[in-house]
Amino acid sequence: MAVELTALPREQTRARYPDESGFVERDGVRIFYEVYGSGDPTVLLMPTWSLIHSRHWKMQIPYLARHFRVVTFDGRGNGRSDRPTEAAAYGEREFAADALAVLDATETEHAVIIGFSLGGQRGLLLAAEHAERIRGAVFIGPNFPGGGSPLPERTVYDFDTDYETAEGWAKHNRHHWLRDYRDWVEFFISKMFTEPHSTKPIEDAVGWGLETDAEVMIATMEAPDLSPEEARALCRRVRCPVLVLHGDQDALNSVTRGTAFAEQTGGNLVVLEGSGHAPHIRDPVKVNLLIREFLESLP
Amino acid sequence: MIVASPAREQTRARHPDESGLVERDGVRISYEVYGSGEPTVLLLPTWALIHSRHWKMQIPYLARHCRVITFDGRGNGRSDRPYGGEAYAIREFAVDALAVMDATATERAVVVGVSCATLWGVLLAAEHPERVAGAAFIGPAVPLAPPLPERTVYPVDEPLDTDEGWAKYNIHHWLRNYRDFLAFFVGKCFTEPHSTKQIEDAIGWGLETTPEVLADHDAGIALPIGVDFGQLCKRVRCPVLVIHGAGDRIRPHAQGVALAEATGGQLVTLEGSGHLPQARDPVKVNHLLQDFIAPPEAKVRRWTRGKSRRKRALYISSPIGLGHAQRDAAIADELRKLHPDLEIDWLAQHPVTAVLEARGERIHPASAYLANESGHIESESAEHDLHCFQAIRRMDEILLANFMVFDDLVREEQYDLWIGDEAWELDYYLHENPELKRAAYVWLTDFVGWLPMDDGGAHEAFLTADYNAEMIEHIARFPRLRDRAVFVGNREDVVPDSFGPELPQIRDWTEQHFDFAGYVTGFDPQALGDRGELGYGDDERVCIVTVGGSGVGAHLLRRVIESFPEAKERVPDLRMIVVAGPRIDPDSLPRYDGLEVRAYVHDLYRHLAACDLAVVQGGLTTSMELTANRRPFLYFPLRHHFEQNLHVRHRLGRYGAGRCMDFETDGPSEIAAAISEEIGREVDYRPVERDGAARAAALIGELL
Repeated sequence: MAVELTALPREQTRARYPDESGFVERDGVRIFYEVYGSGDPTVLLMPTWSLIHSRHWKMQIPYLARHFRVVTFDGRGNGRSDRPTEAAAYGEREFAADALAVLDATETEHAVIIGFSLGGQRGLLLAAEHAERIRGAVFIGPNFPGGGSPLPERTVYDFDTDYETAEGWAKHNRHHWLRDYRDWVEFFISKMFTEPHSTKPIEDAVGWGLETDAEVMIATMEAPDLSPEEARALCRRVRCPVLVLHGDQDALNSVTRGTAFAEQTGGNLVVLEGSGHAPHIRDPVKVNLLIREFLESLP
Repeated sequence: MIVASPAREQTRARHPDESGLVERDGVRISYEVYGSGEPTVLLLPTWALIHSRHWKMQIPYLARHCRVITFDGRGNGRSDRPYGGEAYAIREFAVDALAVMDATATERAVVVGVSCATLWGVLLAAEHPERVAGAAFIGPAVPLAPPLPERTVYPVDEPLDTDEGWAKYNIHHWLRNYRDFLAFFVGKCFTEPHSTKQIEDAIGWGLETTPEVLADHDAGIALPIGVDFGQLCKRVRCPVLVIHGAGDRIRPHAQGVALAEATGGQLVTLEGSGHLPQARDPVKVNHLLQDFIAPPEAKVRRWTRGKSRRKRALYISSPIGLGHAQRDAAIADELRKLHPDLEIDWLAQHPVTAVLEARGERIHPASAYLANESGHIESESAEHDLHCFQAIRRMDEILLANFMVFDDLVREEQYDLWIGDEAWELDYYLHENPELKRAAYVWLTDFVGWLPMDDGGAHEAFLTADYNAEMIEHIARFPRLRDRAVFVGNREDVVPDSFGPELPQIRDWTEQHFDFAGYVTGFDPQALGDRGELGYGDDERVCIVTVGGSGVGAHLLRRVIESFPEAKERVPDLRMIVVAGPRIDPDSLPRYDGLEVRAYVHDLYRHLAACDLAVVQGGLTTSMELTANRRPFLYFPLRHHFEQNLHVRHRLGRYGAGRCMDFETDGPSEIAAAISEEIGREVDYRPVERDGAARAAALIGELL
């Protein structure tokens, strides 16, 4: 990376602070949540992979909270939530169960969920298996195993082999993480923002990544994803309106994933040309407007 | 204000896919169905003063997204006009609506109504909730708030000793002077300035029925429906949208407020609007209706982030007259020289597209949705006669429909620049809806100012001045909307006339508001080739007779052909070639020995550049082409065509070019004489600049 990036030690001033916050505890794991605003419907901003925490929604919260009620929570493994170290704690169903616990704790009967990346899997579980509580779902750059194809460069190295090289995607490897966690975080986050002039989003996300550690991240990797068959079967059960946003320059997760996800859920797809994996951070105005349009179109 | 009603229906932007009659108790109701999308929108009839054409600005737009059904309410249009008040009771209209839905196999629809259509619309929504998916009401006439005070002074059905103001809303006055009432009432419907066309339309529709029908309809509306209207409103469960002009002088805004409250609906107040905003502010009303109706979105959409966008321009080239295609293509070429990375899309229609396609230009697929403008212009013409100002006025429905196509397109796709060459719809509706501007915008024209023809009298002078005043006010109020206005020509080409009483001089105003590119010929006269190559010998003198691509010119061709024997006598080496063009059958033209009649001449402009004389109409493009090539020519401006008779003639006069003929007075002998005098003459025209396209492109390119 050409730019020297340092993580800020303390959180920057927020545009909006929560009206309410608290913890829910499940099997001894405490999950930290926040509630903003009081409109209708409630929007539940789902956690993604534990590499980053709920601050990645910072460009959405102040806007959405002026029109709707917004609930966020830190996924287990980062932010102010606990960081269990066993893999079983990071199964997709655990995150879905955390979401339901947060909905209960905040007395939210039903919500529209918005999931980013891995949030697509836990969000899909909720939409399919708890249809009565989910009024709609937006998925941004969703990591969807049920269709599309992986990026070829991500299929070269596996996670467990100890390689001699640490070039490129060879960094995506448990041994490298234990040796140089920060190096991997910086690499991975640089792939998250393929758009030019993304220094601030990269700096933010690296900072969030450094709030957790290699051990936790390895545990999340050991927890199984949804299988392709499982994901497809779940899609068939989704009844709520679905909107998928996917950048065509996504270098972490191919746009073909989002396309397949929209097709299989009967949802609408907006392809963001020139966008990378996290358009809600890099192109927040467009994504905010698309989210609002979706929320207002719900029956 | 004197307003005349047109005798025949103007060209529609869209014709129904299906139409028919339903009959109830012997009364036949005429309906129309447009499009096939989801959901179905049922546009309800209102008071019989007007019929279903009052939806003309909505139908083409909505039908591109949904299925649209209209019907003429009993009492006007193509529906029957039964006698007696009972035939016009509120419930009759609701039952007619159901009958039309049944006849068109429409299970459920969103209903939209104007004014007193709200009475039957609410009845439908309350009593038939399974068939009404939503209800939108515009300027609702409902007994939920007091009427305007000025409407409570006089009784409707008692003889009065005055017919001043609202005393005209009286059955006895209607029977005495129906037209006077229509002019008054419709005038009150449109309180917005510059509403002459809307007023003219509505009066015309009013004249399609009778005062007796209106009296019956008034009596019918007054009959009880058996339930309290306020209670009925509370029973409405579907989504409701109420649109009400704050300046409504027929029904107070308070009635719209009360209706929205009573139905739990949403209220949109249109500041500055009168009673019929669907006709006067159709763009805004269309968008509001579309948002309310909410047809399903496209499954897949694309958005390109700013920095990833290619540099793109959308060129909207007017199809009225062929001249624009050539010059716009030349300007586009120069623009690409300045900005090699620029992509240009064209929103255009036949015949412009033919020229553009031949040059490999990219016609945007949305062009297929454009309603045909040149066909309309042709339909408005008669024997060497085109009342061009009225023809453009009578194109309001087509212009609006095409603006909505443009607006849909630029919502979906991003452009850096819009270029409109006499794209009237774009310029007019952008100034009417300035918030819709989302790119740099350049306006190009070769004339400024609507001018009345002498025989149009005071009325036409009033109308043209009103159009000019609206345009001047548009520019004064939103001076930054046109990022650049380019006059295709020079200062002196602008006519030395006034825009109208108490309005500025056209030339002064144009100098203040335009840049001047010089004339754009669209070709390089050096590269035209010579006579020999085209098959013309040195021992003959060639006269080419052409009337462009439309069918308007057949009468002129015949007249000139009839002059051939005498012309040949006067000019023994005369070779006359008559070009019929694509819309005139050559076999329908008279024949003489030695006269050549051709359906089509390839590269006609090269022949015109090499001929010894041309006989043409008064259009700017061909006559300026001949001027640039220094050819002698006779030109016959179309009768009633203010642009050809006034603007073009002024410009040709400045160049000292051409000999103006009069179709009215110049017969075959006069034409033969003129041919013999002009053919092969050395001309002393003022030279035409060759850098017009480059200058126009430079002015435009600064915006990129």
